[in-house]
Amino acid sequence: MKILIAVKQVAALDEDFEIRADGRGVDEEFLIRDLNEWDDYSLEEAVKIKEASTAPVEVVVVSVAPEEADEALRKCLAKGADRAIRIWDDGMEESDPIAIARVLAAVAKSEAPDMLFAGVQSSDQSFASTGIATAAFLGWPHAAVVSSLDYAPGAKSALFRRELEGGLLHEVEIQCPAVLTIQLGINTPRYASLRSIKQAAAKPIEVKTLADVGLSAGDAGESGSHSRIRRMCIPDKGRAQLIEGDAAAQAARLAEIIREFKGDAA
Amino acid sequence: MSRTDAVTRILFESFSTAEVRLFYALGYTAIGIFCWGVYVQIRKYRRGAALILDGSLWSRAGDMVGKILSHRTVDRRDHAAGGAHRLIFYGFVLLFLGTATITLQYDILEPLFGIRFWQGEFYLIFSLVLDIAGVAMLGGLLYMMYRRGWMRLPKLDYTRPDRSPGDPDFLRPEYRREDWAFLWTLVIIGFTGYLLEAARLVWLQSRPDVWDTRWWSPVGAAIAEGLGAAGLTAQGGGVLRFSLWWFHGMLALIFIALIPFTKVKHIFTAAASLMVRDPKASQRLPRVPETQATPGVAKITDFTWKQLLNLDACTKCGRCHEACPARAVGAPLSPRDVILSLREFANATLESGTLPPAAELGVHGKSPGQVAMETLWSCRTCMACVEICPVAVEHVPIIVQMRRKLVEDGAMDPLLTKTLQTIHKTGNSFGESKRKRGSWTKALPFKVKDARKEPVDLLWFVGDYASFDPRNQKVTQIFAALLHEAGVDFGILYDGESNAGNDVRRVGEEGLYEVLAESNIAALEKATFKSIVTTDPHSYNTILNEYPDFGGKYEIQHYTSFLKKLFADGKLEVTRPLKLRTTFHDPCHLGRFNKGYEAPRDLLNLLGCELVDMKRCRANSFCCGAGGGRIWIPDPVGSEKPAQNRMREAAAIPGLEVYVVSCPKDLTMFEDALKTTGNEGKFVVKELIELIREAVPARQTETLPA
Repeated sequence: MKILIAVKQVAALDEDFEIRADGRGVDEEFLIRDLNEWDDYSLEEAVKIKEASTAPVEVVVVSVAPEEADEALRKCLAKGADRAIRIWDDGMEESDPIAIARVLAAVAKSEAPDMLFAGVQSSDQSFASTGIATAAFLGWPHAAVVSSLDYAPGAKSALFRRELEGGLLHEVEIQCPAVLTIQLGINTPRYASLRSIKQAAAKPIEVKTLADVGLSAGDAGESGSHSRIRRMCIPDKGRAQLIEGDAAAQAARLAEIIREFKGDAA
Repeated sequence: MSRTDAVTRILFESFSTAEVRLFYALGYTAIGIFCWGVYVQIRKYRRGAALILDGSLWSRAGDMVGKILSHRTVDRRDHAAGGAHRLIFYGFVLLFLGTATITLQYDILEPLFGIRFWQGEFYLIFSLVLDIAGVAMLGGLLYMMYRRGWMRLPKLDYTRPDRSPGDPDFLRPEYRREDWAFLWTLVIIGFTGYLLEAARLVWLQSRPDVWDTRWWSPVGAAIAEGLGAAGLTAQGGGVLRFSLWWFHGMLALIFIALIPFTKVKHIFTAAASLMVRDPKASQRLPRVPETQATPGVAKITDFTWKQLLNLDACTKCGRCHEACPARAVGAPLSPRDVILSLREFANATLESGTLPPAAELGVHGKSPGQVAMETLWSCRTCMACVEICPVAVEHVPIIVQMRRKLVEDGAMDPLLTKTLQTIHKTGNSFGESKRKRGSWTKALPFKVKDARKEPVDLLWFVGDYASFDPRNQKVTQIFAALLHEAGVDFGILYDGESNAGNDVRRVGEEGLYEVLAESNIAALEKATFKSIVTTDPHSYNTILNEYPDFGGKYEIQHYTSFLKKLFADGKLEVTRPLKLRTTFHDPCHLGRFNKGYEAPRDLLNLLGCELVDMKRCRANSFCCGAGGGRIWIPDPVGSEKPAQNRMREAAAIPGLEVYVVSCPKDLTMFEDALKTTGNEGKFVVKELIELIREAVPARQTETLPA
């Protein structure tokens, strides 16, 4: 049995960041990198399934990313993933979610897992489409925003619940293999101690090129993508202001502002 | 030969050979059982993990003997118990030496070499000394009975804060029964000893060598007079002596046989524990050996033999129970019960002939003998328990070793998990950007040197709270100004500095600690400086005591001793003495850990402040509750926090104006507790640095700006 997890190393903004010279992203120097929060939950879900299973289950994480993502993959290995695969090639920087999904699908074809998990979205780009697009390329059934899951590895189908608006839930049965995008809160991700992360540093990460998974240069990067980021911009500053002084002064100033908004004469 | 030269006590007088043989047979049986018990105990300790002690055994033995003879550790914070125990100890030792003397003569020297010395004047003095020793021992024992029976000391209450009524190990009445059995056995042995002595005197009253020297055994003689007056005849005395002889003898033999199986074993285990104590147990935690597959302690056999011995040394005196800040505020932790629980577990699993399977050796959990994670996470690692333990039980390293296992399993508060991840990611617990670490310097009218770029005399290790917490930043800026005004050539590491790791290590996240320590040592190695100063006692402790294990050996001072020197050298001067009534809170890591009690008090004195110490001060200072990573774990809602408990103690000082702290975390904890205990407006919490600023007004001189 095998579960494949698509993971991503995301970027978080540091304080006082600057936009890159080409205007299409944030300067690298101001980014703090980490494993995407949603992927932490989907990995945990797979590891829990593995731990609860009597039959052997292999948990494989895969990331379409340059070398710097090895850190996130190692964290996954530290948390219980058995293998890590990273696909990268020259000219892949401009890949959009569809192109990434094409690569993930190629990996899924060669790995032939019983189930594929992805996070609902990534915290830095928030496209929320990579997982579902992968299912489209594979022609597998899929479901998004899974908030609880009942799945025994090797079973023909899985039962799960997914979140809807207004606190409603869908209970769904799905044929396997399937692609599920996992929502935050489905479990409590374990803590990867530094010791386990260090030990994972010794584990190999399988690095592959597009050719290794049967794709060509045109399948990824700008030429394999349907969309392109043109510009990154910072919205105009709002009118927030910090009211200083003691409680009485603050209250007086607050009342004044409210009156201004109401249009009352002061 | 004068009449007294021959005086002695004839052993087994009027016993038949068969009776003597019976006694010897029983004696050897008792010794056999004793030896078997000792073997079982040693086998138990040997089932623990290996540990190599450093330092010479001789100096360790010398230290142990010194502590035992002086009873220094038993006497601390409880002179009555210390005095009574001293009486029991010296009485018991003398009585034991007396018995050994008789054996030496009767079973060794006389049969082998024909030497007799237990007679004449020596015998008479011997009799007198042992009579007095018996009185001392009985006096001590009776006082201990009074303590247990009538004083109802809370520290001798065995109910557990980490169990609920109804749990099988909540009350533990067997401990009380054992305590009383121990006391009564010794009392009866002592008392029948006197009666026996008296009965012999009555029996042999017609023999002048016995009767005329009877007052050399004053207690026995007095009882003999009484028995005689009550009408006991010589013949009656003989019968009484015979039966008492056997009763007293049998009780003593049973006592000896049971030593290794009862609390009496503390005679040996406490001494051994004192001898193998780790003199740096408070300051530095043990590393995880490279060879160890999983960090920390999961099974009872993962404890070192020394720790298993520690468990057996505990005498339930309750001093740790009394000193523990977590216990004081009702948290489910008593250091005493951690030790006793593990001891019960070790006795149940490691005393049998074969070692049970590993699955039955797990010490984490809620079953009897196991320790619950709530208990382990309640600990503030303030070292109050280790510091006061009279028999050198080292509770905190045991707790941290168990936490290491919990961290490995991720069994901790989600907020703590988040904090550890944050520290890993950003190098500080505030989740702030590394590059903002030195931002507090921007408000200063002078530039603080970057010690990585230019050499400095003094490297200031700032620490997380002093760098990022807005309230503490004000103190940090004052300290920088004081250094600047005193003409000190100093610098900081800016974003090269990370959390020092002291508390991360005490949480039990050893891997992250290693990363932090190595990263800071690498940054320090790149800088050129003569010595280090810090305002943070936590950083101070780990850099001073723990970084050397990672190759970082530095001269480091807490700011209190550094500023004291600046005053002494005339670099700083008090021009506006403060007439304030203050009390001083000894930070755990400065005071109890590293004995830095005097410098802050000297500074307060220098500032002209009146210092009124709280009852719990210096070595007995009461932790603010932030230690051991607890600053990152919320305290349960509705229960008292240690800092609030402390504020109430301070509030009882009449006319208190300033509660003085010298630790960034203390400032945060106590300013909060001042408000939540309703003491705001009655007195204030201030950093000592702030008081110094008031007494040493800023110089409006050459400083301005860069």
